[in-house]
Amino acid sequence: MKGQRCHGWVLMLAAVLALGTAAPAAAAEKTLEIGVLGPLSGGAASYGVELLRGAEMRSDEINKAGGLKVGGDVYKIKLIAYDHKASAADAATAANKLVFQDKVKYIIGNAVGATCNAVQTVTEPQKVMFAFVCWGTNNLGPDKPHSFRSMLSQWEAAEPFYRWIKEKRPTIKKVAVISPNDTSGLDTNTAVVKAVKGLALDLVSEETYERGTKDFYPILTKILAKKPDLLDVAAAPPAEAGLILKQAHELGFRGAKGWTAGVNPVTLVGIAGVEAAEGVWSPVNINVRSDFVDPKVRKFGDEYEKRYKEVPGVIAVANYGAFDVFTKAMQEAGSVETDKVLAALTSRPYDTVWGRLVIGGKETYRIDRQFLYPMVISEIRGGKIVDIEQVLPAALKALTK
Amino acid sequence: MPPSPALRRALIGYGLLAAGSLGLPLVTRDSYHVDVATTILMNLVLTMSLRLEISTGQLNMAHISFMGIGAYASTILMMRGGYSFWITLWVAGVMAAVWAVPIGGLALRVSGPYYFLITFAFSEVVRLIFNNFFAEWFGGPSGLVQIPKPDPLRLAGVQLTFVGKVELYYLMCALLLLAAAVLVRLDYSRFGLVGNAIRQGDVLAETLGVWVFRYKLTAFVLGSFMAGIAGAFFAHSHQVLHSSDFSLEPMVLLVVFTVIGGTGSVWGPVVGTVVLTIASEFMREFHYYEILVYGAVLILTMLLLPEGLISLPGKLGRLVRRGGGGEAEAMGAGVAP
Amino acid sequence: MPIELLVQALLNGFALALVYVLVALGLTLIFSILGIINFAHGEFYMLGGYATYFGVAVFGLHYVPTLLLAIGAVGLAGVVAERLIFRHLRGKTLNAFIVSLGLLWVLQSGAQLTFGVLDKPVPSAFSGIIRAGRVIISVERFVVVLAAVGLIAVLYGFLQWSRVGRAMRAVAQDPDGAALQGVNIEFTSMLGFAVGCALAGAAGGLLAPVFAVSPPMGALPVVKAFIIIIVGGMGSLPGAVLGGLLLGTVEGIGSLFFSSAAVNVLGFLMVIAVLLVRPRGLFGAA
Repeated sequence: MKGQRCHGWVLMLAAVLALGTAAPAAAAEKTLEIGVLGPLSGGAASYGVELLRGAEMRSDEINKAGGLKVGGDVYKIKLIAYDHKASAADAATAANKLVFQDKVKYIIGNAVGATCNAVQTVTEPQKVMFAFVCWGTNNLGPDKPHSFRSMLSQWEAAEPFYRWIKEKRPTIKKVAVISPNDTSGLDTNTAVVKAVKGLALDLVSEETYERGTKDFYPILTKILAKKPDLLDVAAAPPAEAGLILKQAHELGFRGAKGWTAGVNPVTLVGIAGVEAAEGVWSPVNINVRSDFVDPKVRKFGDEYEKRYKEVPGVIAVANYGAFDVFTKAMQEAGSVETDKVLAALTSRPYDTVWGRLVIGGKETYRIDRQFLYPMVISEIRGGKIVDIEQVLPAALKALTK
Repeated sequence: MPPSPALRRALIGYGLLAAGSLGLPLVTRDSYHVDVATTILMNLVLTMSLRLEISTGQLNMAHISFMGIGAYASTILMMRGGYSFWITLWVAGVMAAVWAVPIGGLALRVSGPYYFLITFAFSEVVRLIFNNFFAEWFGGPSGLVQIPKPDPLRLAGVQLTFVGKVELYYLMCALLLLAAAVLVRLDYSRFGLVGNAIRQGDVLAETLGVWVFRYKLTAFVLGSFMAGIAGAFFAHSHQVLHSSDFSLEPMVLLVVFTVIGGTGSVWGPVVGTVVLTIASEFMREFHYYEILVYGAVLILTMLLLPEGLISLPGKLGRLVRRGGGGEAEAMGAGVAP
Repeated sequence: MPIELLVQALLNGFALALVYVLVALGLTLIFSILGIINFAHGEFYMLGGYATYFGVAVFGLHYVPTLLLAIGAVGLAGVVAERLIFRHLRGKTLNAFIVSLGLLWVLQSGAQLTFGVLDKPVPSAFSGIIRAGRVIISVERFVVVLAAVGLIAVLYGFLQWSRVGRAMRAVAQDPDGAALQGVNIEFTSMLGFAVGCALAGAAGGLLAPVFAVSPPMGALPVVKAFIIIIVGGMGSLPGAVLGGLLLGTVEGIGSLFFSSAAVNVLGFLMVIAVLLVRPRGLFGAA
């Protein structure tokens, strides 16, 4: 894998050099530099690496197809990726480098809540377009017109998810929710609690844990003593969600299971085991191997697996989609100028890997900057992820009415 | 009386630091360069004060927590209390120093690896409190955002503002030069000599009549005061605060800067911080491989230069002299009758 | 509060604490022989985990021989690390700090680049649960605890009665004296480092099926190990076991009453409290 990528870089370098010398004679081919940020090392590395891989996949596709045609120009896309190591302070410095040194106008991809706030202190004053998968509620707002969330968050997912659960299994009354104690975890818990209470279900336990925890016996002993009907491993990342479900199963839990903010069901099944993962419902998951999924997603999943030897999670798909949407908006605008792209982006729906995608969310964030698309509620059956029903987020329903 | 060679070296070093830091904006005003330079100056306050504590033989892993205490104190006082930055800046330092008295007092009862580990335990407790408790004050895991920049200052009828990057840079520059003046002065005074004596052996120093505990605590509190000031600057220049800014990772980087530079001299941390920060900015280009390369660089540097980067010129000098001397000898041997 | 719940909580805490004691023993062994704190110790735990993953999940070997191979392989990695790097750092605490940190980054990042970034499950050789009234423990965890206790006993015997083990203790107490007695310091410290790493590797191999493996998996056990050795006292085997049991009690029981963040704070406060009463830990040499 390493060798391959090195090889790729060498080829790319050679290509750039060759183009550099040949350029004056050829037609005006330009380079569009796009930044990607994220934790590429350490405990949160899986988020950043998936973001960057999603970006690599889409930009390579565009470049292989001859480049991005915008107006009369053709652009080759060049990614500039920096590791901010999940540190807010480092994210600000890395964003400074992207914006002032590399003169990037688009940063597509960032994860880890606290770093998004830090990056926005750089991008917003400079009017740099910024797309991310951070789940902090305050990452979107009228004071941040250049910031977009490129995947559904708990605020879109929790309410319709629990409404669906209530209709499907009216016997479920007592809900327990557990998340990591960071921005995305706490905000997810808040959204779940709001949904649960709004639907007159009974919240028996709301717990958080330090990210990186492996042993959930102590917390689960406390939770299971409250006898929940449904255990929601809300914002737990796949491996930790898998461990929670595995250990809950060992401790005798046999109730229903939910994963409001699930991101990679394949990893979850691998770690929890088929038995403990049986029956997990999830609304925002994407299963690239599903028979029901759009052929485009399936193709993406196959190629991703071939290239990186791992199954992509929702974050890889989200950033692939974000690249797709932004580049399409550039073509629509006929320009790479950010204000024209911004106008094009918010004015019409786009066909993406997610299906029909609209940018909305004004009711929640007071500005339309949230990617909205149909979500598929899935259930894990016998280790397979089975899509059950398509549900529209409320904000999307309102827009399509 | 002419200044002693040690004092002359101190003055030259300080002059270079002042000229270098004050002169930088004349060379570049690029936002990114100024931003990195500002971070370097801020980290210099932290590493130079950390080195003061290391020079008494104690590696304080809670140093960054006092930066955090200063940062949160200043932010809360300004955003909730409406106080001016020019008050909260100093309160931040005092607050850090006040907390340093009991924490340092307790931690300094143990030594060696136990001191290292007890201060690590303290720093984790502080970080966990910032992250999980009193969320209405510290913002919980979401942290604090939209922290105002420093207020304008009226000095001798001139209105100074601190909004732009260069203005903030000069503010940090002033703070660093103040802190460095104190630290360099201390290092070349009796205080510095006592520090060396303590590091070489508590018992020996004790028999010479040094009250070791009080001395170490003084260094701890002074170091924490400076960390608190740096924290206040950090909060109002970055405008966002998060508990992870004061966790093990950034703390470890401070130790790396200090030790790679060399703890034997007051200028070691300066060299280490400047060189490593610039190097790591270049290493960003390695994205997936950045941390791998950085780790390898640390291992090699420490194995090749156990006394730190500051010892490099001396080493090279000796090498050249030995090489040159060898040649001279060989030539001499050739022409000898 | 029902008594079963308390028993379950204690059991939860003890089970894993005993595995972390293995990590702690390796750390403290290396500290007493070489005089350094190895921050990359958790990365040897990670290597043990990945060795087990490759044996069981990739090559389809049985778990028990895989575990033994993994322990040997990590011990060997320890020999390489000691010969190439750490023997130059004996007694240089600060330099060893930086170097082991560099090694931590190199190993963690290297693992991520070679093995992938996602957590990899390791199939468990043991299934089912043991139930006593309402108290439950999985067979998997039960075996892990037994193995950990067994390894601690083996280590104790090795240090107490074997020739090299006694040499290690002699070097830990007084290197110069040991050298005068004809102990080969170079060999002993190499072996000490290898045994320390192998202990971490054993813990990683034991927990691999329980927790799955991932590049950053070494961070958590090292923090636990730090707590255990300061509470128990550097260089003391009984101290480490007692420290582990204390930590297990605080975490197990504490989790019933407090949030997980508060439990973490509690663990560190325990460290601070113990050190204030006994500045060298409960069993530390004066």
